[in-house]
Amino acid sequence: MKLSVYRFNPDTDQRPAMQDFEVEVTPGMMLREALLEIKKQDETFAFRHSCGEGVCGSDGMNVNGRNCLACITPLAELKEPILVRPLPGRPVIRDLVVDMTQFYDQYKAVKPYLVREDPLPEAEIRQTPAERDRLDGLYECILCGCCSTACPSFWWNPERFHGPAALLQAWRFLADSRDQATDARLDALEGPYKLFRCHSIMNCVEVCPKGLNPTRAIGRIKDLMLEKGV
Amino acid sequence: MSRQASGLKAWVVQRVTALYLAVFFVYLLVHFLVAPPADYAAWRDWVAQPLVSLGLLVTVPVLLAHAWVGLRDVLMDYVKPLGLRVGLLSAAAFVFLAAGLWALRAILLVGLQG
Repeated sequence: MKLSVYRFNPDTDQRPAMQDFEVEVTPGMMLREALLEIKKQDETFAFRHSCGEGVCGSDGMNVNGRNCLACITPLAELKEPILVRPLPGRPVIRDLVVDMTQFYDQYKAVKPYLVREDPLPEAEIRQTPAERDRLDGLYECILCGCCSTACPSFWWNPERFHGPAALLQAWRFLADSRDQATDARLDALEGPYKLFRCHSIMNCVEVCPKGLNPTRAIGRIKDLMLEKGV
Repeated sequence: MSRQASGLKAWVVQRVTALYLAVFFVYLLVHFLVAPPADYAAWRDWVAQPLVSLGLLVTVPVLLAHAWVGLRDVLMDYVKPLGLRVGLLSAAAFVFLAAGLWALRAILLVGLQG
């Protein structure tokens, strides 16, 4: 099987280029394994990966124009020639390795942790099963960055728009019955950029390897703002 | 908050105006497909009907508000240099104001004479 892979080393290359590799395919082979084969052929080839089973979120990349996790993308499902590029819109450090600093900064900006005004109890803070259910579809995010780097609004304003991944987490903590910073969180999201650059393009939903729906979460945040504001 | 352009407000304005426009434009479309005015006089008579006049009068600011939010979004996404962005927003504001007043004048003139 032929794979065409994005190569760029800022220290030596003037511009990026695609390089072709031929890889022997075994049944059930995932793209990550093919990339490891390529690395055997050319050890200067760089890409991030770790767990190999769609949990760590390290090997997000753009394959045939679509963001995905290489480790859970079967080669059999990909059309040849397979074009493997880094996540779009991020500065390339080398080959498929990109700089995710802005992505993490936006994540940090939504305060992705429980905020309590009351003194913390001795024991755990209890939730009803219904309250716990509200977190389903939110907590599963592995921060691979496939969604935010597929989002045109994030391409144009990565320093000001939080992006789908961070906004999914913003809603995850707004939806949590144990969190007590709803008003502060909503205030922090006001203005035209942080939340409202989302135009419901839904690329995030399209590409999320965990099947999550950031657009719906963003809609819930807007609804809550409206509810608190009107 | 005061140094920011609006987020929630603009979004709500866009959504609510979209509802009005969706309904009224369907009416316009159906009207012009089913019973298109035969000539200018027929068109004037149609516009002069109180409900039609009112509908059109409301449409003007609603359409402009809707377009304003959309255009502002496009410029925020694609035009980065501050001077250019403010210039384009100002130009759009003047065009919108002129177009809006002109449309209101046309509707009112017909409505008052009819």
